[in-house]
This record gives sequence, structure tokens and C-alpha cells, in this order.
Amino acid sequence: MAVLDPCVASIAKPKNGQARAGWSLAFPALTLMALILLVPIIVACVLSFTNYSLGNPGFDWVGVQNYERLFTRSTYEKMFVATFTYVITVVPISVGLGLGAALLVHSLGRIGDIYKTIYFLPVMATLLAMAIAWEFMLHPTIGMVNRALEMACGTWFEALHFFTNGCAKGFPLWLGDRDYAIYVVCFIGIWQGFGFNMVLFLAGLTSVHRELYHAAEIDGARSGWERFRLVTWPALGPTTVFVVTISCIRAFQVFDTIEAFWPQGGGPNKSAYVMMFAIFEKGIQQNLIGIGSAITMLFLLFVMFLTLIQRWLVERKVHY
Amino acid sequence: MTRDWWKHMVLILGTIIVLAPFYMMVSYSFKSPGEIDRGEGGFFGRQEMMIDPRCVALRQPDRADIEAARTRFPSQDDASVQASLLAETKADCSMRPVVFNYSKAFTEAPLVRYLINGVIVTLSIFLIQIVVALPAAYALAKLKFWGRDAVFGLVLFCLLIPVHAIALPLYIGLAKLGLTNTYAALVVPWTISVFGIFLMRQFFMTVPDDLIDAARMDGMSELAIVWRVMLPTAIPALLAFAIFSVVAHWNDYFWPRIVVTGNRDLFTPPLGLREFKGDGDGSFFGPMMATATVIVTPLIVAFLLAQRRFIEGITLSGMK
Repeated sequence: MAVLDPCVASIAKPKNGQARAGWSLAFPALTLMALILLVPIIVACVLSFTNYSLGNPGFDWVGVQNYERLFTRSTYEKMFVATFTYVITVVPISVGLGLGAALLVHSLGRIGDIYKTIYFLPVMATLLAMAIAWEFMLHPTIGMVNRALEMACGTWFEALHFFTNGCAKGFPLWLGDRDYAIYVVCFIGIWQGFGFNMVLFLAGLTSVHRELYHAAEIDGARSGWERFRLVTWPALGPTTVFVVTISCIRAFQVFDTIEAFWPQGGGPNKSAYVMMFAIFEKGIQQNLIGIGSAITMLFLLFVMFLTLIQRWLVERKVHY
Repeated sequence: MTRDWWKHMVLILGTIIVLAPFYMMVSYSFKSPGEIDRGEGGFFGRQEMMIDPRCVALRQPDRADIEAARTRFPSQDDASVQASLLAETKADCSMRPVVFNYSKAFTEAPLVRYLINGVIVTLSIFLIQIVVALPAAYALAKLKFWGRDAVFGLVLFCLLIPVHAIALPLYIGLAKLGLTNTYAALVVPWTISVFGIFLMRQFFMTVPDDLIDAARMDGMSELAIVWRVMLPTAIPALLAFAIFSVVAHWNDYFWPRIVVTGNRDLFTPPLGLREFKGDGDGSFFGPMMATATVIVTPLIVAFLLAQRRFIEGITLSGMK
């Protein structure tokens, strides 16, 4: 950084000086961007066509064998199923709840701020710690959740199929049950993320002009629903696109909860074997760098594709 | 208010679900193992004196102790001396559950060390991010040089890449350099914040050119302008970015999990908690929840004290 001599700032040759200053100021950032973000992508791309392992002197080219495995082996089929189940469950629900909470909180004015604070707490808390707390809550015998459910036994709740079964044969094991495991992880994802979405929607809502509501009312939009459909929803368009994208990207990256619950193997019958966990297990724990890199490349492809769709939507969208 | 009661009902239901794991975490950190097992004692537990079984087991009186204590218990046979000694040990080893849980949290594992590591890592990440990003942001916002648009295009492209996704090639690179299990490994991948560059550039665009021209007239170099003119104007934006960065890296579990293996001296708080869970048996739920509480508390308290700033910082990414 010491390359900047005083004459860089000289007014006599501003063009030249600015060019040199510009490049040298941007240089450290550019170098790091290349080394930390771009080179690894190229490395992953190259290694995904090899059978490289750390510690081996060399490697063999295996062509598309790694990718072929990804699309033929049942383990990876489970990986895709788990990842997409998670994304498809968490994104709509956490965006929906975020929007709903934002509308309610916004309509309550100042009192609503209390709820805003509370709903934002999970966003701040260390997810790993909260995952462990949830694990205790969901403990089959001494957990709060099943204890609370047991209290409903003997009341009219028992008419419901779920409670009839639960009271007779015991309530689900939750994390140990392969039908429930991934949905429990989804639930925690929603629990953690919807407050974040709510705050983004709230920011969007405060920027909607009051006059628009008055105008809509004069035009005959009397019910709350009509006002929402005609004014709020279109105005929230750009926010929604952004919230959906960022929720998707975060959902794709789910890892902490799954590693905390099942350090080995990704859940009962691999029902929660998501992509980040697969990269971690294959690439780092088992040192199968080739296959790990192939998963990395697919992962990047999904995430970049999503972001590009978002940018395209935002640019295309007609703002009110 | 009366019209809004259903909104409050819905939001309070949400509040219960959001706060449940926090309630349980703090409550378990107060209770004795027995109370946790049986699910009793309300929020604080009954705080009856309890005996730490490990402490007693470690201080089991042996032959030599009995001989030494003989003078204190004259005219008693060995068995009764032993019994009195055991009673003394038990008295020494008994304490309130809350003291037991929190003292175990700090003595079973070097929790203070983990917390210090967390502070070191998050602060160095933030400082390096600023040192790298600010000059680049200034160059992109205020200097005219050939290739500037290309550099900015690169920044926009790199915004698409989540660093977690390229963890595997980064890990290989660090392993090749022999840097795994060092502070460097925890910090290096985060030194470049493309988002920080983008954010600060947007902010610097709003700073009037006259201010910079005046500084140039005074003979300041471009680098000096960055630190002595631009930095002070950017304090609010920097504060928001600091919160964004610190929260993300204090809570991060994925990356430390990958590059730190086994070396406890380098554990960040989430890793320490994870290890606690790994070797904990049933009676250690209390201390584990105490650890979780200690790790989660700093950010939650900071958030409650400066809510508006925190929400601004965390949702920065939404301001694009």
C-alpha cells in the first residue's frame, strides 16, 4: 500500500494519478477476491473431474464419473430429495409467515414493536445452541414437546387421529423417526428464519405511501383484502423477490442443525442428508475430494441460478 | 385495541413458539439433573442443595486419609471415621444446582478460552474486511480509472458466491499451505467481503465530491483521504456492517468445524458447545444448557440494548 507517492494526488495530471491510485487502492481487494473466491471455483471445477484425495501425490482424470455417480447412486438421490424437501418446505412457509407477521405487527403500530423484537431473537441466537435446545425439547421421553402432547391425552383431542395413535403407542421420536426427521429440521429452519423475513417486509411496508391507500379507498377498495391486493402486494413486489431469493440461498446452506442432530450419516435412513452435509462428509471427513467437488459445483450452479433469476425479475419488474 | 384482539392472540401464539427453546435453555441451566429428568421445578427449579457425584467420587477417602483424620475423631473405629470423612466430603461437594451448572460449564471445558477465541476471530475478521474493502470501495465510487467498470462487474459477480459453498476447495488450499488448525484458517476466507465493498461503494457515492477535492487541495494522498476523510463520514454504515459481520461470524459453526479439528485451544464458542454435547451424558444437560446460555447471551443482550441498529445491520443485505 506504500506505493502511493504524494504526486498521485497532484492536480496537474488528475487522469493519470487517479488511474494509478484507483488500481492500487483496489489491488488488495482484487487479489483477495481472485484468490479466495474465483480460484477455488476453478479448482473445484477441475477436481470434480478427478479422483484426487488430500495426501496423495497425484490424481487420475476420471471424466464425468463423479457427476454420473451423483445422478445414479441412491445416496445422492436421497441427498437431492432431502435438500429440495427442505428448500420447498422452508421457503414458502417462512416467507408467508414473515409477511403475515409483518402485516399484523405493522397494523398494530408501536405496540407491535414488542413482537418484532421477540420474533427477531432467533435470528440473533447461535443456531447451533438453539438446535441443541430444540433437541432437548423434542426428546422422546423427557422433552417438553411430547410431555405437552401427553397432557392432551384423555381430552377431546384424542378424537384426532394423531393423538389417538400417540396416546396408545407413544408420540413420535421426532428426530429419530425417518418420516418426521427432515420436517423437524424444516420447522427449526422456519422458526429461525421467519423473523428475518418479517423485518425485511416491515421495511418494505413503511415505504408504501399512505396516499396510495386513500386513493384505493376512493376508488372503491373498501375491504382490507382489497387494499392488500391492490396496493400493499404490488408495492412489496421487489421486497418479496428479494426475500424469496435470500431465503432460498439460506435454505440451501442448511448445515448446523443437521450436524448437531446427526453427526454421522445425516439422519435416520439419510432422510436429512442435505447438500452442505454431503460436501462436509464426502469431501472433508472421507477425503473423497472428487465427489465433494462435484457436489460443490452443482450447489454453486443452483445458488447462482437463483440469484440470476432474482436480478432478472427485479430489473423486469415495473415499480409502482 | 379491542378490534385488534385477534391479532394479539395470533402474535402471542407465535411468541410462545419462538420463546419456548430460549425458556427451556435458561430454565435447564438452573435446574438439577433430577429435576430435568422428572420435568419439575418450574422455571428456576427448587434450588435444593445437590451433591456433585463426580466431586465425591474423586475425593473418596483412602487409607492414608483415615489415618490422618484419626486425631480429629478420637476413639472411633475405622469404619465410622470413614463415614464421617465421607459426610464431610459430601458437604464440601454439595451446592445449589445453578452454581453447579454454571461452574461446570466453565471448568469442564475451557469456556473462557473459547469466548476469547470467538472475540479474536470475529474482531480480526471485521478489521481486515474494513482495511481491504474501504480503499476498494473508495476507488470504485470516487476515482475515475480505466477498467473501473470491469472491476465493479467483478464485484457484482462475486456477490453471487456464498463462501460456505466453496468451503471444500478453500479447505484444500489451506491444508496444502499447512494452515489448518490455526487462527489464520478461521480468518482468511472471510477477509474479503464483497458485500462490504458493494455496500461502502454505494455509501461513498453519496459523499459530495467537493469534500474530496478540498482534501486533495490540502495535499492529502488518496490513501489518506480514505482513512481521514471518507472513514469518518461512513461511521453509521460501518457500524451497521460491523453488526452484520460480527453476528455472522460469532454464530458461524460450519467453517470452524471444517478447519479446526481436535485442537481445543482454537475452538470458537459453537465448537466448544458441540464438543460438550459430544461427550456429555444425561446428568450434564444442565451444564450444557448453561454453556449454551453463556454463548447466546452476549449478542442477545447487545441486540436488546440497540435493537434498531441491529435490525438495520442484519438486514443490510436487504437494502440493495
